[in-house]
Amino acid sequence: MKKVLAILVVLVMVLGLTSVAFAEEVTKENIKLGFVHISDPSDMGYTYNHDVGTKVMMEAVGLREDQVINKYNVSENPGECGAAINELIDAGCNMIFGTSFGFGDAMLPAAQEHPEIEFCHATGYYAAMYNLPNYHNYFASIYEARYLAGIAAGLKTQTNKLGYVAAFPFAEVISGYTSFYLGAKSVNPDVEMFVMYTNSWNDPTVEAQVAKALIDMGADVISQHSDSTAPATTAETNGVFQVGYNADMIPAAPNASLVSARVDWSKYLIFAVESYLAGEPIPTDWSQGYAEGAVYLSPLNEIIIADGTAEAIKAAEQALLSGELKVFAGPLTDAAGNVVVKEGEYFHEQETESAPSWSFILQGITVIEG
Amino acid sequence: MDKIINLLCAAVLAGTPLLLGTLGNILTSKAGNLNLGVEGMMFMGGVSGLMAAYCYEQWALAGQGASSGVTAALLSLGASFAAGGLGALIYAFLVVTLRANQNVTGLTLAIFGAGFANFFGEFMGIRAGGYVAVSQTVKNAFAGLRVSPLSDIPVLGRLLFQYNWVVYFALLAALLMAWFLGRTRMGLNLRAVGENPATADAAGINVTLYKYAATVIGGGVCGVGGMYMVMVTCSGVWVHNCVNGYGWLAVALVIFAAWSPLQALAASLIFGGLSVLRMYVSLGIPMQLYDMLPYAATVFVLVLTSLRQSRERSQPAGCGVNYFREDR
Repeated sequence: MKKVLAILVVLVMVLGLTSVAFAEEVTKENIKLGFVHISDPSDMGYTYNHDVGTKVMMEAVGLREDQVINKYNVSENPGECGAAINELIDAGCNMIFGTSFGFGDAMLPAAQEHPEIEFCHATGYYAAMYNLPNYHNYFASIYEARYLAGIAAGLKTQTNKLGYVAAFPFAEVISGYTSFYLGAKSVNPDVEMFVMYTNSWNDPTVEAQVAKALIDMGADVISQHSDSTAPATTAETNGVFQVGYNADMIPAAPNASLVSARVDWSKYLIFAVESYLAGEPIPTDWSQGYAEGAVYLSPLNEIIIADGTAEAIKAAEQALLSGELKVFAGPLTDAAGNVVVKEGEYFHEQETESAPSWSFILQGITVIEG
Repeated sequence: MDKIINLLCAAVLAGTPLLLGTLGNILTSKAGNLNLGVEGMMFMGGVSGLMAAYCYEQWALAGQGASSGVTAALLSLGASFAAGGLGALIYAFLVVTLRANQNVTGLTLAIFGAGFANFFGEFMGIRAGGYVAVSQTVKNAFAGLRVSPLSDIPVLGRLLFQYNWVVYFALLAALLMAWFLGRTRMGLNLRAVGENPATADAAGINVTLYKYAATVIGGGVCGVGGMYMVMVTCSGVWVHNCVNGYGWLAVALVIFAAWSPLQALAASLIFGGLSVLRMYVSLGIPMQLYDMLPYAATVFVLVLTSLRQSRERSQPAGCGVNYFREDR
């Protein structure tokens, strides 16, 4: 009897092993994707925009609703983010996307522990540093769209002063406002820009206060690298204009919002999911720009834009597409007077790494920090 | 000079929602109820204020009629007051009638209110197909007032006569509350309830009624503070988590103001000023230090008040303890 039992147990174990070895192949029908978001689509900003990308990807790849799990309003605290990632792993996700910069610290250990799951992190930079086969970074060259949006601001301003509501002082934000400034300067050489930080991705009260302070300094076009519509609505209340980010902000501030620079996240999501299904490797770093449609401008607010805006943007767009125009093209001088990019050269932003790395403060930009 | 005026104006705007939250909580505290749920009541008031203005506008549009800014503002005020009051009513029922722990109930209300507001805010957003945003007419109703010739007086006009109506409402509320607490029989009764409910009861004061009324009205005032954040700061657009901790600041401000509505005026102006200081005055110190200023000031005031040990300037003695008549 014992022998029979032992044989049975062995048989069960062997069967168990084979069933693992012949685990169902991941196909379009059974792949599961998990997303970790810092807020939820009601922010009508960053998370909303990323979620739009997810929906386009689901349509393009042909996924059902139940194949995508979204974790909304997860803070950047590694404990909370780690818990959300574990829930996604337990739910059987094959790929996990973390969409906020600070999620990297929780995603990295999870990727080391689960080599069978692909981790894709937006806006971070750990992938190239740690070189794990299943950890990837992605972003889009938003600076190209910001440059074009800057043209609308440069033509619109009467005081030649722009204001920029910026979240945190680090490369992603600095690269963003520098390209915006360069775009404005390309059509208006006299323009200068004031930058003030909110120290938060999403704090409408502080964003509104900072926008008001910039307007009080004489800025008549406000742009932003922050998540809420407060800078747009504050600009409207004070009779000045605004250039948005992430979402078309015209519905929120129809008399102020000129245009918005947006990322089309579906480009990467489709690419990454299809690569995975085809068994092809996902690149360590991925970033595409205006030419590929990964970044774009929302429709211009025809009623309030300055005359010739559409033509000027069109011309710059052509030059950008042909490669004749580089956003960070020399000569560029920083606030201290050092030449940071020489004449005839350009700064290779997001060409090899997906995360922006430009962190010089150029002449003409004044950062107000205490 | 111009910079100082700009800073003062910004300080008033930044201080107003805090003032409303603080006033509401002072009234609640005076009845012996420590309500930590200001954040939640502000959230509830904020979303309801927006909902009232938005629904009224949709209704007016559907009837082909033009919406009136004044009606929308009044509806918004009423709805935010009612919603804040509703939050406080839940609190009062749990604390006064069921004698639940005040701290825990207040904390729960803070969480409940945030969830309530984000749920309905998001729900309206989805129904509206993106942003819930009010029209220009309603936005104008919450914009700064232009009362010529008063607003045209140099300097004074800008300093005193160009704010939105909620600022003046908050000022009026503070003065009224100071008068009520200090100069009326009912105010005296209320303070007695907060200091020593058993004595007040023995003197024939209806403790339960006073506690309920003060808590609910106080919650309503907090709700109006939330309406300010949604209708003025965010210009009538629902932004996820828009109250974002300002209710907690109001709780701190109650201590800062030493439970006095008049001092709440000064305290919220100072607090508002300190919170926007870095945007207007550059002292060459890291901005993190600026962001610490309001809190450092609170600690400073706490130390001072505890040193002075004045009865007038301390928390009502009955605050935080539930009154049970049979408990002798």
